[in-house]
Amino acid sequence: MKKIIKAIRMENCIGCELCVLEAQRQVKKVGTEGALVRIFKHTQKGTNVVLDPTVNTLDIKKIQEICPTSVFEITEEDLHEFER
Amino acid sequence: MNLNAKKVLVVNLADKTSEVKSYVELHKYMGGVGLSLKLYEIYYNKEPVILSVGPLNGFFPFVSKTSALLNNDGVVEDSYIGGNLSLRIRYSGLDSIVFIGTADCPTIVDIQNTKTLFHPDDIDIGTLGLPGKRSTLKNLGKNLMLSDYFTTPENFLGKALTTKNVAGIVITGTETYTPQDFDRYTQLYHKILARKLELSVEEGKHHSCGKCPMGCGKSQYGEIGGNVLIHSMVACQYADTIYNDIGTLFSCLNTLGYDYRHEDIEYLPVLIEETLKKVS
Repeated sequence: MKKIIKAIRMENCIGCELCVLEAQRQVKKVGTEGALVRIFKHTQKGTNVVLDPTVNTLDIKKIQEICPTSVFEITEEDLHEFER
Repeated sequence: MNLNAKKVLVVNLADKTSEVKSYVELHKYMGGVGLSLKLYEIYYNKEPVILSVGPLNGFFPFVSKTSALLNNDGVVEDSYIGGNLSLRIRYSGLDSIVFIGTADCPTIVDIQNTKTLFHPDDIDIGTLGLPGKRSTLKNLGKNLMLSDYFTTPENFLGKALTTKNVAGIVITGTETYTPQDFDRYTQLYHKILARKLELSVEEGKHHSCGKCPMGCGKSQYGEIGGNVLIHSMVACQYADTIYNDIGTLFSCLNTLGYDYRHEDIEYLPVLIEETLKKVS
């Protein structure tokens, strides 16, 4: 079954953007334009980590591992989720 | 990215214009405090406030600060602010931003790459720039707040911006880069990132600077003074065991395609001292 990455502990995010830039390096880019992982910081409301579904075509284990605060989890895609 | 020249955005607050200048002759100043000092000499008569990044900002871990240099009551002061500001400036394609002149009313300067817009201060600063690609610097008078969290150890920058009628600055960077030897760059990146335990700060869960996994409690208040080599790169002073090493610096610069030699790095502190004597 296909593995997918999810941001399940967004409250842990410290905003270092290592995950953003890891995903970018995998497509041989440095910068945030066109990033498949995006971090939106709101000090009052916390941090929002947004994953483009196509991020799952990358080496998601590396993205998970580079996060210093364990924001991400890799799970198996739940196909039934789309049927519900 | 032109690796042989420094790209500088000069923002004239008086007539609300900006222009991009490319300085080949400033290449040897590398970045950060070195580059800022030389720009300060060039723009001396215009009371400049200068923000600079170094050649490694946006590319390597723990190179996470932005240099701010200005005249504070006749004394040239340099301070360093964290957050993601250095990444945004680097991804704007700029090495420095020089603010000259004084705005006629409280103004928010909105920079996207090399384009500059000027807004009155009653606009909601949170609506400016591109989310996820911007840094927001609010001048609250008594202090300066970057991304509502980071600030500087003294309020020199806030005070200078208040004098210039700057109520806030938003910087959005959308440029991307591909270092010429990408595999070697990636290897070196991970090698340096793996040295995080050499940093002289404790890991924490505070807001972190860009490309730093530490989340330490020290980053909030920035830095002032210290090692000119570190501050020219503009790395975090707590990563000095990594970036005060000329061999490591040379490898990082060389991997990105810069033509700096060991001698250029060794000579930089002398160059900075000479420039400082001229402007003091």
